[in-house]
Amino acid sequence: MATTSTKKPLLEVRDLKQHFPIKTGNLFNRKVGAIRAVDGISFDVYPGETLGIVGESGCGKSTTVRSIAQLHKPTSGSVIFNGIDMVKADTRTMLKARQDMQLIFQDPYASLDPRMTVRSIIAEPMVIYNNRKLLPESMTSHEMEVRVEDLMERVGLNKAFKNRYPHEFSGGQRQRIGIARALALNPKIILADEPVSALDVSIQAQILNLLTDLQKEFGLTYLFIAHDLAVIQHISTRIAVMYLGKIVEVSDSAQLYDSPKHPYTVALLSAAPIPDPKVERERKRIILTGDVPSPDKERDGCYFYDRCPKRMPWCSCHIPPMFDITDKHEVACWLYSKEDVSKISMEDAQADAAKIKAEAINKQ
Amino acid sequence: MVAISKKKEAPLNEFNQIVAGNSLTKDAWRRLKKNRMAVLGMIIVILYSLLAAFAMFLPIHPYDEIILDHQHLRPTLNKSAGDLMMETKLEDLYFKAWRSGSLVVTEAQSEQIKKWIKDNETNKVWNFCYTEGERQKAAGTFTFSDADTRTIERLQKSIDSDFLISVEKIFWKDMETGKIQNLAKMSYEEILPVYAAITKLDIPTIEAQVLQEKRAQVMNSIKETNPGLSEEEYQSSLDIEMMSIGEKGIAATGKTNLLGKIKTTITRSSERTLKQEIKEGTVSFPIDKKVTISENLSAEIEATKKHSRHYLLGTDYSGRDMLSRIIYGGQVSIMIGLIGTLTSVFIGIIVGALAGYLGGKVDFFLMRLVDIMYGLPYMLLVIIFMAIFGRNIMNLFVALAMVSWLTIARMVRGQIMSLKNSEFVEAARSMGASTGRIIFRHMVPNSLSVIIVYSTLRVPAFIMQESFLSFLGLGVQAPYASWGSLVGDAVNGMTLYPWKLIFPAIAMTIFLFAMNFFGDGLRDAFDPQSKNQL
Repeated sequence: MATTSTKKPLLEVRDLKQHFPIKTGNLFNRKVGAIRAVDGISFDVYPGETLGIVGESGCGKSTTVRSIAQLHKPTSGSVIFNGIDMVKADTRTMLKARQDMQLIFQDPYASLDPRMTVRSIIAEPMVIYNNRKLLPESMTSHEMEVRVEDLMERVGLNKAFKNRYPHEFSGGQRQRIGIARALALNPKIILADEPVSALDVSIQAQILNLLTDLQKEFGLTYLFIAHDLAVIQHISTRIAVMYLGKIVEVSDSAQLYDSPKHPYTVALLSAAPIPDPKVERERKRIILTGDVPSPDKERDGCYFYDRCPKRMPWCSCHIPPMFDITDKHEVACWLYSKEDVSKISMEDAQADAAKIKAEAINKQ
Repeated sequence: MVAISKKKEAPLNEFNQIVAGNSLTKDAWRRLKKNRMAVLGMIIVILYSLLAAFAMFLPIHPYDEIILDHQHLRPTLNKSAGDLMMETKLEDLYFKAWRSGSLVVTEAQSEQIKKWIKDNETNKVWNFCYTEGERQKAAGTFTFSDADTRTIERLQKSIDSDFLISVEKIFWKDMETGKIQNLAKMSYEEILPVYAAITKLDIPTIEAQVLQEKRAQVMNSIKETNPGLSEEEYQSSLDIEMMSIGEKGIAATGKTNLLGKIKTTITRSSERTLKQEIKEGTVSFPIDKKVTISENLSAEIEATKKHSRHYLLGTDYSGRDMLSRIIYGGQVSIMIGLIGTLTSVFIGIIVGALAGYLGGKVDFFLMRLVDIMYGLPYMLLVIIFMAIFGRNIMNLFVALAMVSWLTIARMVRGQIMSLKNSEFVEAARSMGASTGRIIFRHMVPNSLSVIIVYSTLRVPAFIMQESFLSFLGLGVQAPYASWGSLVGDAVNGMTLYPWKLIFPAIAMTIFLFAMNFFGDGLRDAFDPQSKNQL
């Protein structure tokens, strides 16, 4: 990664892979393949920023977040948070590090235990960390009670509601409960997995504003997932675009929306409706052909090759690295390679790919 | 400081009431209290359990005391056993009188009686004969024959004079020291000389006698368990058995045997004196007194008139009190129902939760185990278990619990599997919750409704299974009782003695109803989304 920044990243993700094995047989499991939900992604998150991850359904956004939070053990790669590699750390170290990393979930109806009162839900992270003796200083139940009330007030819930059950709240209120729970341990980074996609538009705005306020107040860092481009534009300082388990473009928010580089990003942005009937009528949409390919096979070319309107023979057998456009804008597309590869024929490209492969084998 | 800030910041609801912290269990209790049927059910279940648990201390007749004179007495509120015995006798005599023609009834009535007899409605025949006979006797149109009058007189006499005697405590006064000791608290070695003094035998003879008795007892049990061995084999196994019993075992048996013998002696001698006193008419029952047998042997005895007892719910085929049998039967049935259910639910939840949550190989092996146990006929398993480990109530519990967790394990596994991938479980994992916490704080409470409904259905099933086993001769054995065995015993004489069937059945039905309401209430109470909101 060539992003030059004087700041030290809070979270470093390096070549993270999350493959889910496809198994047959009951007793003696035989692995017959793998779903490559996340297939080698790298990015940094800097303190105080909001990194938005955008992409269509099934591209691995949520899996990325879950792998970072160690809800799934990553297949390979590293997640360095607070100077600790969470993939390799033992459970206790990992838990201690993860105290500063909390999740907000997509569905506020499903992410709260229906048999717990709001108070128990918000207090649960504190209770767990207290029981495991991982808190800097242990909390009494009275302190927790006070903290729960503080948090409820902070996220805009009446603290008299603390004995109520999740089903007695509206979607927006429930998401506030989820946010209060995420804040309970004073985290540094919050991984928000599509926190507003299940809400009404008016409520979405409330929740987004709440998140922005909290960021200012507590100096939080967000890793924010959404498939709604407007939401991402509103909240993010930087944006990463994902396709089929790969990051195809990372850029500053404004830059990405002004001048998208990757053909996929261009297509994605052109799909967003513009709230102006005149412009909307004249707007040209780039319609991608075909479906998203299944992520169950290993690829040696560009992941977007099958559907790319600007594909070249070279792309079929060479995985594009991240090319710098500016110091804050990177694209994984051969169009932006320094050497021009557009004229290379299919045969030459394949020969070159075979040569590289052979070299790699020889090295081993 | 903290207290002040708490007071100041205390959360208030819309009615300015301070809202205190709460949890699901507290809430469940409040919701349960609102459900009137459930509370009623709970109270009944608790009452039943208390009655069963403290049956020993209740003023009821012993449940295992057989009084053959009191067979099949009907339930009554005010009549004593003697009155009922007399009534039964009279019914019988009037009926015989009608048969022999000395009790004259109209033609129509006669036809009616014959019809009743044909229809097997014996109770109606007796009732009619009794009322008609009493009426005619009072009117002076009917008198008993001499033989019948004598029978009635004899019965009346025995009703008036028969008594039951029981020796409560035996005391022995040591002639040398003058110390008075309770015989039941003395050791075998101390009782030996006492017995020797009473029977005027020497100690070695008594010891030999005790040993002989013990040997005979052991031999009998060996012969019972291994029939068809040769005499030598019996002797050798007897020797081995006696070795393993040892001095202590012999002493224990010796003590009970000697005590029993002394008791019998005392009973006999005090019976004699009592009978004499009754003849003289100098006693009034009940008696609770201290008697002196010889100068150093004395005893506390209790004597009651045998036929002045009241049986509220009647008696069974060997004259045992139904009320106390139902209460003592409740002990077994409630224990089986509750403990069996609790253990099976406990095992089922643990196995099911582990299989469901861990998945993979653990799931595979646990579920195959469940499949195999399902495949075996479970009654066979229980019967084999009881045959191997012996027939007692504890083993019955273990055997029933052992096979009854299968269904609940499967149900819990299904529930857990569907909950495993829900977001709130993932959220709990992201907070660092341990597997145990996730299972018991999140998943089990969320599958409680199914578990509770199923367990309340299990309770009657357990009671039924126990009665079935008792019926097969593997459950509780007489003189012990359970509701199931009481009902089973009563089915034979259902038309003649309906109370023997009705009362245990009513007791059982009320309990099961209460249990169902209670279970229903529990399920609703543990479900925050249920309709009976606070």
